[in-house]
Amino acid sequence: MMKLRNQNCLRLLLYCLMTFQLLTNAVAATDTTTDVVKVGCLYPLIGPGGLYGRDSVAAIKIALDDLKNSTQYDYPTLEVLLGDTRSKSLRAVHIARGFIKDDNVDFLCGVVSSKIALEVTEVAKENEVFFIGTDHASPRLIDEMLHPYYFRVSNGTRQSMQAGAKYIKQNYSHKPNLKIAFIGPDYDYGYQAWEDLRFFLKKEKVPFEIVGEYWPKLFETDYSIYVHELNASQPDIVVNGHWGQDFVTFIKQAKPLGLFDNANIMNFDAGGNYATLVAMGDDMPIGLVLSARHHVNWPETEKNRHFVETFRERVGRYPSYAAEGAYAGIIAIAESVRLASNKNDKDQIRHNLENLVVNLPEDPAGFSSHMDPVSHQILQVQAIGKTVLNNEYKPAKVLLGDWFIHFPSKQLPAVSN
Amino acid sequence: MLTAVAIAVDGLGFAAWLFLSSVGLTLIYGVMRILNIAHGGFYALGAYSSAWAIGLYTQTGSTIALTYLIIPLAALAVGVIAGLLIERGILRFMYGRDEVLMVLVTYAIFLILEDVTKLIWGTGSMVAYQPAYFLGTIEIFGIPYTIYKLCLVGLAIVVGAVLWWGLNRTRIGKLLLVVIEDREISRALGINVTLFFTVTFVIGVTLGALGGAVTAPQISVVPGIGAEIIVMAFAVIVIGGMGSIGGAIIGAIFVGFARALSVHLYPPAELFSIYLVMAVVLAFKPYGLFSLAEGRKI
Repeated sequence: MMKLRNQNCLRLLLYCLMTFQLLTNAVAATDTTTDVVKVGCLYPLIGPGGLYGRDSVAAIKIALDDLKNSTQYDYPTLEVLLGDTRSKSLRAVHIARGFIKDDNVDFLCGVVSSKIALEVTEVAKENEVFFIGTDHASPRLIDEMLHPYYFRVSNGTRQSMQAGAKYIKQNYSHKPNLKIAFIGPDYDYGYQAWEDLRFFLKKEKVPFEIVGEYWPKLFETDYSIYVHELNASQPDIVVNGHWGQDFVTFIKQAKPLGLFDNANIMNFDAGGNYATLVAMGDDMPIGLVLSARHHVNWPETEKNRHFVETFRERVGRYPSYAAEGAYAGIIAIAESVRLASNKNDKDQIRHNLENLVVNLPEDPAGFSSHMDPVSHQILQVQAIGKTVLNNEYKPAKVLLGDWFIHFPSKQLPAVSN
Repeated sequence: MLTAVAIAVDGLGFAAWLFLSSVGLTLIYGVMRILNIAHGGFYALGAYSSAWAIGLYTQTGSTIALTYLIIPLAALAVGVIAGLLIERGILRFMYGRDEVLMVLVTYAIFLILEDVTKLIWGTGSMVAYQPAYFLGTIEIFGIPYTIYKLCLVGLAIVVGAVLWWGLNRTRIGKLLLVVIEDREISRALGINVTLFFTVTFVIGVTLGALGGAVTAPQISVVPGIGAEIIVMAFAVIVIGGMGSIGGAIIGAIFVGFARALSVHLYPPAELFSIYLVMAVVLAFKPYGLFSLAEGRKI
């Protein structure tokens, strides 16, 4: 544990240095060009979501270098400013307002938590500044909260749950009286995930019975009481809507209580995150059905290998999925401005974002991520896998394999229960 | 049937945890009339020190059985060091002041302790499941429970019994009851009230740290666990009657079973149920179920 703590200190120091380097690079760029695109990014750098934020910062640096080294296009110069939200809404709103009023940013980007993103998107709307969502996943941002200045460049829970419903249909449609229980965090993200999954299961005509819905608070530390009830309600499938440390805690506590012997555990949105697999170590059960918005070992394309290995070389470990979301955000901003004649032509930039097509590390061969112009949600492939022993990407001892690949529909499906 | 069993076992387990985590708070209030918000900080210090010590020890590859000794020792170390430092260094200068001021002082101490834990152990999570895994599980009507959790029920009973025996069957305990009853009379009788305050505070802090230390093997120890427990602990002692150890037992049982009932029967009401119980109790007994009668001094 001492070792872990020292590693954390070293990592924090590394990220501080990287942030400093990022800022100094940006300042240097400001001196040499008058048409710099300013991007204010909001991530938690400490606390429960801190790893995602720190990974995002590292990925932003990779994206800036890739843009700079691009021989295909002459991308605009981006100046990236970073704000540490510490996973607090008020602080995030304060930083976002500062970016807009004091730093005159052209874009806001980032935000890990959907709860915070719902606050920041209001600021973006009020000030008519583009907000490129890179990691949060709540469908509310692309439904009732959607405005002309918000775009999301990573799959949301709606897409994860659509893929999850297809997975359940393919593997369980033969089973009579399919019993499903859901456990997820007690906030918007959890509720939306469950609502979407139920909608898509009905749409796929999968007959199922709900035997329980449980809502532990975000960052719960003791799930045993919920696991006891899950065992008592005897579901065939437990769909888990947790992410990050919450999912790790849930799995570690559920394992000795025999939940995995009695039911199939599935997490279609964030459970397969590389950081989660590392945190689980030897304790990760084999055969869990998980997914994430990016995988270190899928797709096996040159672009993904480049991203994953560059990240490892620079940071000393492999990236969590949040990193690829941040990478996508910077690429999307650069691409939309490149195609516009002027960085201040917001209508043109919006048009470019609405019709955005970019090839990202998570795209399999022959597929490119593309924006749904109606919902402002990027459409990407969702790969669902089972946990298998694999130590090719150490220190993780278990990775996902035996993939189920879900290609997106042409337009994001609307959900109405 | 399964659900009824789960409610009974989970309710008992949760009540035991609540009692262990809140009994120090009610003891300190009973003797010193200090509403000790810093109690959450001591709970967190206990949890962190326990998880940290277990982690260090298990890295040596030695037998897990010794961790059951490490856990109370970690709590004792926190209780003695932090308890003495805070009581002798800060609180003794505040005795006799308004109770509201003491709330503010202990709240400030709580905030400092929150940052101290972050400075010492960082902002990441710590896990030390080895002691909980080591004992394995037991099936009760087909539902597996960790034996460690059931042991905590036993520990809560032992702590409650020792406190009862100490207060009612020993000379020091009887003197303490006199101090609880009336400080001024105690002083007039020659009782060293200040010494009793110091000892009581250290015991209360140790109990708070013990609550955290024994909980650590079951949870992810993360920043903020102190704030979480202080709210629950206040609910428990307010229901039971502030300053009453018997009240803390009853309050813990009420809250524990309210939570278990809601999780198993109607999960969306989980948080609400705890405060509903508190509101109902206070509506009929504004000073809690077992509040000590206070004479009006003119």
